[in-house]
Amino acid sequence: MIAYLTRRILFAGVLLLAVSLFTFLVFALLPTDPAALTCGKACTPERIEANRTRLGYDQPLLTQYGKFLKGIVAGRTYGEGQGEFTCGAPSLGYSFSQKDCVTSLIARTLPVTGSIAIGGFVLWMIFGIGLGMLSALKRGRWPDRLISIVSVVGLSFPTFFLALLLLFIFVIWTQILPFPSYVSPTEDFFGWCQALLLPWLTITIISSPYYIRLTRFGMLETMNEDYVRLGIAKGLKRWTVLRKYVLRSALIPIVTVAGLDFGATLGGAVFTESIFSLPGMGRLSIKAVSDSDLPVLVGTTLVAGTFIVVFNLLTDIFYGLVDPRVRIHK
Amino acid sequence: MKLRSYKFLGVAIAASLVIAACGSDGGSGSINKATKGKPGGTVYILTQGEQITHLDPQRNYTGSDLAFAASTMHRTLTSYKYAAGGEGSEIEADLATDTGTASEDAKTWSFTLRDGSTFEDGTAITCADVAYGVSRTFAQEVITDGPTYAISYLDIPEGGYSGPVELNAATTAEEQALFDSAVACEDKTITFRLKVPVADFNVAVTLLSFSPVPKASDTGEGYDTAPVSSGPYKIESYTPGDSLVLVRNENWDKDSDPIRNAYPDSIVYKFALEGAVIDERMIADNGDDQTAVSSDGILPENLLTIFDDPKFESRRQDGYDPYVTYTAFNVKQVSCLEIRQAVWLALDREALRTAAGGPYTGDFADGFIKPALAEDYAPGKLVEGLNVDGTPNTEAAIAKMAEAKTACPDIYELATGEGLKFDHGDTPTWAKLVAIWIESLKAAGIVLNSNPIEPSAYYPTIMDPETQGSMSRSGWGPDWANASTVIPELFCDCGGFNLSQNSADPAYAEFEAGVQAARAETNRGKQGKMWQELNQYVLDQVWAIPGSFTKAQDIWGSKLGNTYRWGPYGSFNFGDLFVNS
Amino acid sequence: MTDVLSVDERGDDSLLVTSIESKSPKRLSWDRFKRDRFAIAGLGVVVFFLFIAIFAPLITKIIGISPNALDRDSLNDYGLPNGRFGGISGKHWLGVEPGTGRDILARLIYGARLSLFVGLVATLITTSVGMVLGLIAGYLRGRVDTFLSRLSDLVMTFPSLILTIALVRPGTQRLEAMGVPEGNPARLTYLMLVTLFFGWVGFFRIVRGQTLALREREFVEAARSSGAGPGHIIFRQIAPNLWGPIIALASMSLPAYVAYEAALSFLGVGIIAPTASWGIMLQDSVHFYRADPTYFFIPGATLFVLVMAFYLLSEGLRDALDPKNDRQQVA
Repeated sequence: MIAYLTRRILFAGVLLLAVSLFTFLVFALLPTDPAALTCGKACTPERIEANRTRLGYDQPLLTQYGKFLKGIVAGRTYGEGQGEFTCGAPSLGYSFSQKDCVTSLIARTLPVTGSIAIGGFVLWMIFGIGLGMLSALKRGRWPDRLISIVSVVGLSFPTFFLALLLLFIFVIWTQILPFPSYVSPTEDFFGWCQALLLPWLTITIISSPYYIRLTRFGMLETMNEDYVRLGIAKGLKRWTVLRKYVLRSALIPIVTVAGLDFGATLGGAVFTESIFSLPGMGRLSIKAVSDSDLPVLVGTTLVAGTFIVVFNLLTDIFYGLVDPRVRIHK
Repeated sequence: MKLRSYKFLGVAIAASLVIAACGSDGGSGSINKATKGKPGGTVYILTQGEQITHLDPQRNYTGSDLAFAASTMHRTLTSYKYAAGGEGSEIEADLATDTGTASEDAKTWSFTLRDGSTFEDGTAITCADVAYGVSRTFAQEVITDGPTYAISYLDIPEGGYSGPVELNAATTAEEQALFDSAVACEDKTITFRLKVPVADFNVAVTLLSFSPVPKASDTGEGYDTAPVSSGPYKIESYTPGDSLVLVRNENWDKDSDPIRNAYPDSIVYKFALEGAVIDERMIADNGDDQTAVSSDGILPENLLTIFDDPKFESRRQDGYDPYVTYTAFNVKQVSCLEIRQAVWLALDREALRTAAGGPYTGDFADGFIKPALAEDYAPGKLVEGLNVDGTPNTEAAIAKMAEAKTACPDIYELATGEGLKFDHGDTPTWAKLVAIWIESLKAAGIVLNSNPIEPSAYYPTIMDPETQGSMSRSGWGPDWANASTVIPELFCDCGGFNLSQNSADPAYAEFEAGVQAARAETNRGKQGKMWQELNQYVLDQVWAIPGSFTKAQDIWGSKLGNTYRWGPYGSFNFGDLFVNS
Repeated sequence: MTDVLSVDERGDDSLLVTSIESKSPKRLSWDRFKRDRFAIAGLGVVVFFLFIAIFAPLITKIIGISPNALDRDSLNDYGLPNGRFGGISGKHWLGVEPGTGRDILARLIYGARLSLFVGLVATLITTSVGMVLGLIAGYLRGRVDTFLSRLSDLVMTFPSLILTIALVRPGTQRLEAMGVPEGNPARLTYLMLVTLFFGWVGFFRIVRGQTLALREREFVEAARSSGAGPGHIIFRQIAPNLWGPIIALASMSLPAYVAYEAALSFLGVGIIAPTASWGIMLQDSVHFYRADPTYFFIPGATLFVLVMAFYLLSEGLRDALDPKNDRQQVA
């Protein structure tokens, strides 16, 4: 088990390094001159050159990458004298258009994106697994059919269109809800829920159908397994069998997928955040695109990638813990 | 004076109002007058912007940002009156005891500082602080984006001085001496020596680039987010992308500042809101939003909702702002007068205006100087055959194209074959407007290719002769009530914002000579006539196609007073707003 | 309903076993598919949209509309459509675009052309690359397999949407500099390349898994022992057995790509205006939520219907092609 864990963690580390190198190189090799983007309208060539030196864009690529990595570990100071400024560790760079360190920009968005992802995750798991179980237990009867129709409808919604539709229905048309405006849950819990209700609903409608299907499929498969039949034959209570055997084994693939989905959502719910104008990481990325703010883009890509890798790893570990085959084989 | 780029690029019309120069109020809906308010409360300002473009006073050059910073944090030698309509363009003594004394030839100006005015830490504002502030503009490496009138007016040889040693380590004592003799301090009196006569230099000094900065606190780049206040408010916290909170500056003394009323206890600027969200919140008028203003105006799609409904009557206004929109030709590339005329004739300006919001957009411009600049404005003579109602005159355009075919076959080939490249902001609004451009020019056989440019790269792209397309959209407002801040800035290489690359045009030499003569003219009436002629000269050469004399619309919360528009900046007078409980 | 997993439906099918025993597998699948009313409806809608897309110029010409023609007369002074429901009239069946008066039906038809083109090309390239690499990795195993599998792990680690959006402008510029025609050709090429980069992984994993299993089967052994080369075995022996899962997966990814194009255009990083695209229409229509809600619902509903039709069709196909269903019926 320990060997397995070590291998997985090492591999996750290698993946992260590869992602950072790739991201860094892709952005560095672009035709856009990063130094030219650091100042606005009346930009003189001298000033561009000054900023190039200040931000280190004049150095060879690998040196730049080394400095970037070092910044993550030890923080980084740019320029010298009057124009000097420091971004503390872990430094992901400095954004000229936002006049702030990338790390603090991203840190500010995390509570928002985290709120959306956690709330959405809880809801879609409840609805996904709950309705999936109902579907499996009532298979072929009307609840099953209704649920499967609803899932197809949910699946067919492009995220952005669903978000727009909900916004139109609840905010513009019936005016049941005010325009979402994020507040911290510690400050105003009710306001927090109110602002996030529509984003959560959007994510739940979009994501639940997959979990309904996974649950239903997993349960039907295990319900046909011999050991379950045996349990029922032995006279165990139906609910006990369901809970102890069926649900437990049906949940393993669900947790795997859920871990990956959650990691991806943490990287920024781009459409939900843009449409409901919530200042999360997805929206930060979109803004950075329209500002051609390369340091922020490198930062958000890397942080989002990290979430994916970390949750991949956690899923692997979970898998290793529950599945004896993995433990022994690897 | 620039429009905020996202406003201009996004909507084609911005939020602001009449430049009510010299007593003439060209606006139609300036219902609001300045009144006496009550102290207390918090005023909120909502915007789509991620931050104030520049809080560094020497770098601030955007209408509403100037109005905001001038009325709350940065005092200048003279200031515009806190009043609506034409009165708002009159100047009053602020840091100075009067509005300045000029020599006979208007080449020497002196101001005497008032007693008792201090920075936020309580130290007195001295003549040296004002001089230091002015000197910062010369450090163009660091002090970017700001107005450069100090450089073009002060009597310092070109390139002789590049900013104080604090901002530019290379500056020598001799170079500093050049500046010190142009801006001299004698006790409380500051004297400016100019290389050209400037009859309204005391209006120019209302620009924040002439405001004092304490040398010891100058952090260069860092000063942009943490400037030292000399006004009634100071920064409590500033987080770009989120908010700017201003609280009372305890060291500000009302007795030393006859202009500012400073009613609210704090002013909170909220950034990074979606335009649609701002409008929805302003329409709903709940809670804190009752003491909020939108500094972005109203989105075109919500204008009818707000202006058709009488319940908004006391919370809205509509009127002209200081800006003129125009499309500059890259004359070096489109070096054919007939083609430029054909484009103008073929363009469906009426459809463009309708798409941008119809009557709320403004009036068809007949030049680059707005009627509000009464002394400098004269109705322009437009290209022959142009329809007054804005609809295209396709036949006339086709006829011009036929002339072009023989007059300049190369350019004709380009315009009808590969096509002309049209620069505009990469925004949803422009995605539609450009379709009207393309379709209406197509009718005259002119091929137009859309060149959408992301907003942040827009100005750098079109200002660079290498990357500019055949035509570029832009907008401009005067820095004070004199077309000397319009015509040279937009069309002369001696100005700061010439997009037309016209210096290769044979007609250019005569034009530049005219500009220099007009600049040197001290008789304001005569000078106005000269600007009128130069405006006509540009129209005749079609170096640019005038767009609209723009209008703008505002909405504010129900519990706010003094929501009048401050003419010279075309925005609210943010520092004069008060909470009306 | 069309769900693969509905045991009761399988039970029903087994009653028919005797009558279809002599049919070929293809025939069996088709028979199953035909009985799925939802899938047939989906197929109908998809064929309808394909027809419209292919004959877009002809259809718009017959109706007498154009996606680019301006119609100032259909707008009031404020640029909003005259009349109720977004200016729906005999001349403009689905109304006009605020601001310009362009015909919405015509723009929808041309938008369908683009959406389907993007969806088809994206599916085709991701499927074929994923399939070829999966076959190679699964058949050769060893280092090639390790390399490709690790590469797919790496690709899965990237936040694909953010990266796609982030690189759209510089990526397009680079392609233009390399000689791809400016504007939409370059933008589409970029989008296809990025889609390929992120999209091959799903197909690769499935095909690799199947190949690993199939290469041990008797018929492959037989071919190998009779001296067939790897090329023959991979493409002649193994590949034909993969069509079922591939078609099922491809028919799921096609609607996803259609929605993806609309979503990117909605964000302003997809198709460049003034070319008609559903995403751009939706992006624009949001501004007119209040004044002209019809303008929002028409393109939105169209997109929804097309995506749903594809899903229904793909589920029907999956049911029909599922080997499990085969076994159950033939047994």
